[in-house]
Amino acid sequence: MAVQEHIISLLVNNQPGVLSRIAGVFSSKGYNIRSLCVAETTNPEISRITLTSRADRDFTDKIKKQLDRLVDIISVTDLTDIPSVKRELMILGLRVREENRQEILRAIDLFGCRIVAMDADYLILEVTANTDKTVAILKFFEPFGVEEMNRTGAIAVFRQSPS
Amino acid sequence: MKTKLNFHKTMGADIVLKVLAEEGVDTIFGYPGANTLPLNDRMAESPIRHYLMRHEQAAAHAADGYARATGKTGVCLSTSGPGATNLVTGIATAYMDSTPLVAITAQVNSDLWGKDAFQETDIIGITMPITKHSFMVRDPNQLESSLRKAFHLARSGRPGPVLIDIPRDILGPVDNGNPRDMPENAPLITDDASSLARIAEALNRSERPIILIGGGIKLGDACARATRFVLEKRIPFTSTMMGIGSITSANGLNLGFIGTHGNETANSVIHQSDFILALGVRFTERSTSVISEFAPLAQVAQIDIDPTSVGKNIPVDFQWIGDIKDALEALSALVSPRDRPAWDQRIEEERTNRASRNGDDGCGEAGALIRKIQAAMPRDTIVVPDVGLNQIWTVRTWQCHTPRSLITTGGMGTMGFSVPAAIGARVGAPEREVVVICGDGGFYMNIQELATISSYRLPIKIVILNNGHLGMIRQMQDLFFDSRFTTSALGGAVDLVAVARGFGIPAERISAQDHAEEAITRMREAEGPYLIEALIDQDNYVYPIIPPGKSNVEMISGKDGRA
Ligand SMILES: Cc1ncc(C[n+]2csc(CCOP(=O)(O)OP(=O)(O)O)c2C)c(N)n1
Repeated sequence: MAVQEHIISLLVNNQPGVLSRIAGVFSSKGYNIRSLCVAETTNPEISRITLTSRADRDFTDKIKKQLDRLVDIISVTDLTDIPSVKRELMILGLRVREENRQEILRAIDLFGCRIVAMDADYLILEVTANTDKTVAILKFFEPFGVEEMNRTGAIAVFRQSPS
Repeated sequence: MKTKLNFHKTMGADIVLKVLAEEGVDTIFGYPGANTLPLNDRMAESPIRHYLMRHEQAAAHAADGYARATGKTGVCLSTSGPGATNLVTGIATAYMDSTPLVAITAQVNSDLWGKDAFQETDIIGITMPITKHSFMVRDPNQLESSLRKAFHLARSGRPGPVLIDIPRDILGPVDNGNPRDMPENAPLITDDASSLARIAEALNRSERPIILIGGGIKLGDACARATRFVLEKRIPFTSTMMGIGSITSANGLNLGFIGTHGNETANSVIHQSDFILALGVRFTERSTSVISEFAPLAQVAQIDIDPTSVGKNIPVDFQWIGDIKDALEALSALVSPRDRPAWDQRIEEERTNRASRNGDDGCGEAGALIRKIQAAMPRDTIVVPDVGLNQIWTVRTWQCHTPRSLITTGGMGTMGFSVPAAIGARVGAPEREVVVICGDGGFYMNIQELATISSYRLPIKIVILNNGHLGMIRQMQDLFFDSRFTTSALGGAVDLVAVARGFGIPAERISAQDHAEEAITRMREAEGPYLIEALIDQDNYVYPIIPPGKSNVEMISGKDGRA
C-alpha cells in the first residue's frame, strides 16, 4: 500500500497525561510520530495537537478510531487530503564565507526567509513555509555550511471556515 | 497560633463510599495498606462489604469474576506501590475481555507525589495501555465527578477497566465546597439503519450463512434476543470462546466454537460458508487462525459497539456500529427465514463424520470426568476453568444451560485466574453453585486464595486436574518440539489434599476413572468449600488442535499429524 505523510489535527482536553496516551496509541500500533506541535487554543481548557506520521492508507481509519476512543480527545481530523494551510517554522544557523555571501543573500530574498541575527561570517535565518518548501530551503543551504537547524513540525488550519 | 476550624470539611473516604453506594456497588475486593487506611477506616459505617483477599492480583480477578457473574461493575481496591502493581495482571485480564471494572488505588500524599516517596509508583502510567481510561484525583473538588465518570466509562460502549488513583490526603478531611464536573464525553455513534438493511439483504440472498457469536453478546446483555433471532431465522451458529454460553437452548443449530482449540465441525462449516453475520466478535487469531485463509468464500458482516474492533483484523463487506440489541431488533424484522436444504445437509454430514471419529470430543478421561462433574451439579452451576488443557477440556465439554455460566479468561489466558474469579462469582451470585476446574500449575499461582475461601466459608467447589505438568506446554513440546520436555514438569512432591486441609478445606484425591462419582457426590453435598485432586495422565492432551501457522481446517488429531 502507498505510504504517505499524514498530518493529523487533534483537539484535546488540556490535562496531564493526554499526550502520553496519544503517544501510546501510536507506539502500540507501530507507527512513528515524525513531528509534533502542542499549544493551547483560545479556550485554555482545550489544546490543539498537530502531528505527522508516515503510514499507509489504512492509517487514518485505524489510528483515528483508536484516538477517538481516548476519553480526553475531543476531535481527530486527518488533514492530509483536506484543503488546509500548513506551515512550519525552521531556524537555521548558517556559515557565510566571503565568496558566497552574495549568493546567500539573494537566496534569502528569493525564498522569503528572515534574518534574525547576523555576524560577519554567521547568520541565523527564520523560515516559515510548508514542509516541502522548508525541506527544499534546507537542502539549498546545506552545501554552504548549516551549523545548526531546528524545526517545529507542521501546524495547520482549515482553508474553509470550519463551520 | 490559631488553628483553623474545619466546619465544612468532609472525609474524602466518605465521598468515595457514598458514590460507590449510589453507583450500586455493594461489594469491594481489596487489600489494605497505609494509604488506603482512611478509606478502610470508614467502611465500618458503610453498607458496602469489603472482602479481604490474600493478594491484590486476586482482588482484581475477583472483581472481574463478580462482574462476569452479575453483569454489574466489579470494584477492587489496593494501596499504592506494590499493592497497585499487583493489580496489573488482573486489570489486563479484564481489559482483554472487556469486563466493566473500577480499580481504586490509593496513592501517596499529594505533597509527596513525584519525590519517589515510600510506595510511590506511577500506576496511571503503568496501566495506560490496559485501561479504558484512568484518573489521578488531584483536587478534592473532582473526587466525586471522577468516580462517577469512572463508573460511567467502565460500563458504557465497549466496557472495560477504569483506574482511579486517589492520594491519601484526599481520602482524609478535604474541602470540596466547590465541586467540579468532568468534561462531557462525545455521545456514542450509532450507524443508521440503512446498513442493517443491506446486511439483511445479503443474508437473505446467501446460500450458506452462519452466525458467529462473540463475547459482545453477553457484554451487551443480548443473550435472550440473540437466542430468539437464531431460533426464529433457523440459521446455524458458531461462537468464539468468549461467546460460548450466550445461546443456551439446545436447538440443533449450535455447531460449537471456532479457533485453535475449537470444534472441528464449527471450523469446517465456517470455512465453507458464504456469509458470516458476526455479532460482538473481534476476530482474534485464536479464532481465525491464519487470517488470510479464514472463511475464504464468505462475505463478512460485522456488528459491534466498538468502532476499533470493526475491520481491524479482517476486512469486512458490511458493518454496523452500535448496540447489539438494537441491531438484532432491527434485523429480526428484515431477515426472512428460508429453507436451505443443501446447506443443512452439508452441515449434517460434517457433524456425523466428526462424531464417529472423535467420540470423546478429544478430551479423553479428563473430559469424561468433567462431564461427570456437570452431571452431578445443578443446571445453572457456574464453571470457572483456569488456563491450559483444563480450560480447553472444560469449554469443549461443559454444556452451558443458562447465561453467565462459563467464566473464563479468553483474551489474556491468565493462569491463576480461576480460584479468585470464582470467589467473585460466588459472592456475586450466592444462589448458584460455583465449580473451579484448574490445572496444578495454575492452582499454584493463586493458591493463597484458599485462605480467603475458607475464612469467608465460601462454598466453592474446586477440582484440580493434576497431571504433574504444565500440560498444555507439554503437549506443544510433544507435537512441535520433538518431545523435548524441558521446563514443563511440576512433579508430584506436593500433597495438595494436605495443603487444602491445612487451609481448612475438606479435600480428597481420586484418579480420573476410579471412585469419581462418589467423590463428586461428597463434593456436591458438602456444606462449605470442597476440593478434589484428580490425577490425570500426563499424556491426556486435547485434540484436535491447529498447529501454529495453519488454517482453521488444518486441525490435527494426533501426534502423527493425521487430520
Ligand atoms: C500467568 C501465565 N503464565 C504462563 C502462561 C503460559 N501457559 C499457558 S498454559 C500453561 C500450562 C498450564 O499448566 P497447568 O496449570 O498445570 O494446566 P494444564 O495445561 O496441565 O491443564 C502455561 C504455562 C499463562 N497462560 N499464564
